[in-house]
Amino acid sequence: MLAGQTPYQNGTQDDDFDDDEGILAASIVEAIQNNDDDPSQTLQNIQSREDDLQSRLQAAATPLEYQASLEARYASYDNYCSLFHYILNSNGPVELDLPTYYWAWDVIDEFIYQFNNFCAYRNRLAKKGQNQEELASLRENQQIWGCYSVLNILYSLIQRSQMNEQLAAIKRGEDPNTVAGEYGSRPLYRMLGYFSIIGLLRVHCLLGDFTLALKTLDDIELNKKAVFARVMGAHFTTYYYVGFCYLMMGRYSDAIKAFSHILLYVTRTKNFHNKSTQFDSISKTMDQMYALLAMCVALCPTRLDDTIHSSLREKYADQLQKLQRGGPDSLPVFEELFQASAPKFISPIPPDFENPTNNVDPMQHHLQVFMLDVKNNMMAPVLRSYLKLYTSMDLQKLAAFLEIKPDELRTKLLVFKQKSRQCKWVEGGLLSGDIVNVSDLDFALQQDLIHISEAKVGRKLVDWYLRNLTRSYA
Amino acid sequence: MSSYDDAKERPEHITNILNGLDRYNPETTTIFQDYVAYQCEYDTYDCYANLALLKLYQFNPHLARDETITNILVKALTVFPSSDFSLCCHLLPPNLLTPTPNTQASDLAEAVQKLTGLNSLLESCQFKEFWNTLDSDDLYADLIADVSGFEDTIRTRIAGVTNSSMREVTRELLEGFLNLTDDKFDTFVKETAGWSIEGDVITIPINKDNEAKPTITRESVKFDQFSRQIRRAYEQPA
Repeated sequence: MLAGQTPYQNGTQDDDFDDDEGILAASIVEAIQNNDDDPSQTLQNIQSREDDLQSRLQAAATPLEYQASLEARYASYDNYCSLFHYILNSNGPVELDLPTYYWAWDVIDEFIYQFNNFCAYRNRLAKKGQNQEELASLRENQQIWGCYSVLNILYSLIQRSQMNEQLAAIKRGEDPNTVAGEYGSRPLYRMLGYFSIIGLLRVHCLLGDFTLALKTLDDIELNKKAVFARVMGAHFTTYYYVGFCYLMMGRYSDAIKAFSHILLYVTRTKNFHNKSTQFDSISKTMDQMYALLAMCVALCPTRLDDTIHSSLREKYADQLQKLQRGGPDSLPVFEELFQASAPKFISPIPPDFENPTNNVDPMQHHLQVFMLDVKNNMMAPVLRSYLKLYTSMDLQKLAAFLEIKPDELRTKLLVFKQKSRQCKWVEGGLLSGDIVNVSDLDFALQQDLIHISEAKVGRKLVDWYLRNLTRSYA
Repeated sequence: MSSYDDAKERPEHITNILNGLDRYNPETTTIFQDYVAYQCEYDTYDCYANLALLKLYQFNPHLARDETITNILVKALTVFPSSDFSLCCHLLPPNLLTPTPNTQASDLAEAVQKLTGLNSLLESCQFKEFWNTLDSDDLYADLIADVSGFEDTIRTRIAGVTNSSMREVTRELLEGFLNLTDDKFDTFVKETAGWSIEGDVITIPINKDNEAKPTITRESVKFDQFSRQIRRAYEQPA
């Protein structure tokens, strides 16, 4: 399944990303129908307001057939381009009130989804090298769904709406309208601009630029009050990508925090969502986040929230056990979970059509880089389980227990130490942070003697006490 | 607190490019390349800018310069154990790390794989093997030739790892870690690292990373948590 591509589509559209027939478009109109109480009225409003825009919206909104042909994919791209061109480059701002918050999110979400899907389709075709007709067409139309143009559209939407300036003003406690300008003060531009920032986070991450992805969110504060939190799909997508970027930067504790936060939030608000058509895809992305979380916890043992921990064990009991046992047996599990849960990466340039075998799946590339890190750290769980038992220990003796050479054990211990010191976010931009000790176990070597210390959390009694007090009163 | 996108001594014109859309402009490639050369020569480091250059190469493969790519990777080695090396690798062309059957292993692919090997040795704290590997092939010497002070920087980093994990270490082991012997070793240990030597044992002063002190985090109870109970006590006298 695709990773967090379309937490907003309804069932049929997200089932088949891996198949050639993968359906492309969800419609703006359909999105409105999904999310609005009274879709017909909204549609009529738009219609009466601006016939021209309506036709463009329609064009961009027409869902592609299930077996989307290459032409249909091209056409969909053209529609997006003309719609965005109209919105961005008309004489003065386009007059249109947004039907809902969802609308702007859905446009951006679908736009990127189609981009991602197209790139995957093109790569597959190039790799197989069979369908000569389509290959020839792809070779000639390399600019279609090109990275530069997609990025260009997102950046333009942000700039037109002065969104970064507006958000910065809000952060300073000023009125955003003073910097919003002619365009940015209108809901259409404001919302498109805002969600384009989330869109950029996603595109950068798909391209493997995890630092730039997080940098993009500099002006957005990640909390429940943020605008994106009003749109479930956006809220969800944002945290998925932020968590994933942290994971790839080796900032496991920050990744765990991001995933736990959103998983807990969805679990708690499940009753509000489970009737909606999007819930299927939301729960799929949730499963992916649980898988990513399992990897994070294995790489950086952390006590999770009880609810999250029990769901994690429910969904990935086997895998979690193998991951936490460490050693070479855990490597295939890491690979499996990564491939199932990472976003479908995009290659920034069109594939090499001349030499089909020369094209490496971007997923394989990122997996390989990730696994280098994992391999290095795979002994950590084993070491941990032993270190937990002692307050001091002889290096030679422990090496004998583990059946490795003392010198090897020493290097493993040093690695353990390095990995327990991580950059952790405190405040400010998502890229900032302090190096702290994130492990509850620590040690120091005095020649061959290992001194081990543990940071314990004292028993928490107040909650228990209060709960029982309330109960006995009632 | 430090932020990943900050760098000390980053020139203003680089900051402007990084913060604007010019970071996608192929014409800025040469500016970034010069900046990489500057970092190599004057021993400064700016990963965020280097990633921007690798991104430009991604989008414009014909502009990519092998030498600059390897220099960026070598610079990233000097800041181990940070994840910079991996982050750079993510932005490299996929067929460098996964050689494809069709392509002859290019010089660049070979260099990147060699550097990846060095990175693995550093990341897995096999410092003695790292130095041995570095000496084993002239190619390594070529790769690090542009980066001034490479060995010293790595040595300082290794000393940092040692400093955070050890209180006492034998001379033999530490000599292997630092790839230094005799007077040079003594000078480095005493003056650069600030440790003391007694016979065959080097003592590292206690710091916050090597003290390994057990701690217990206790629950902090706030008065507010009891507000309901207290209110209740007034409402319904038991």
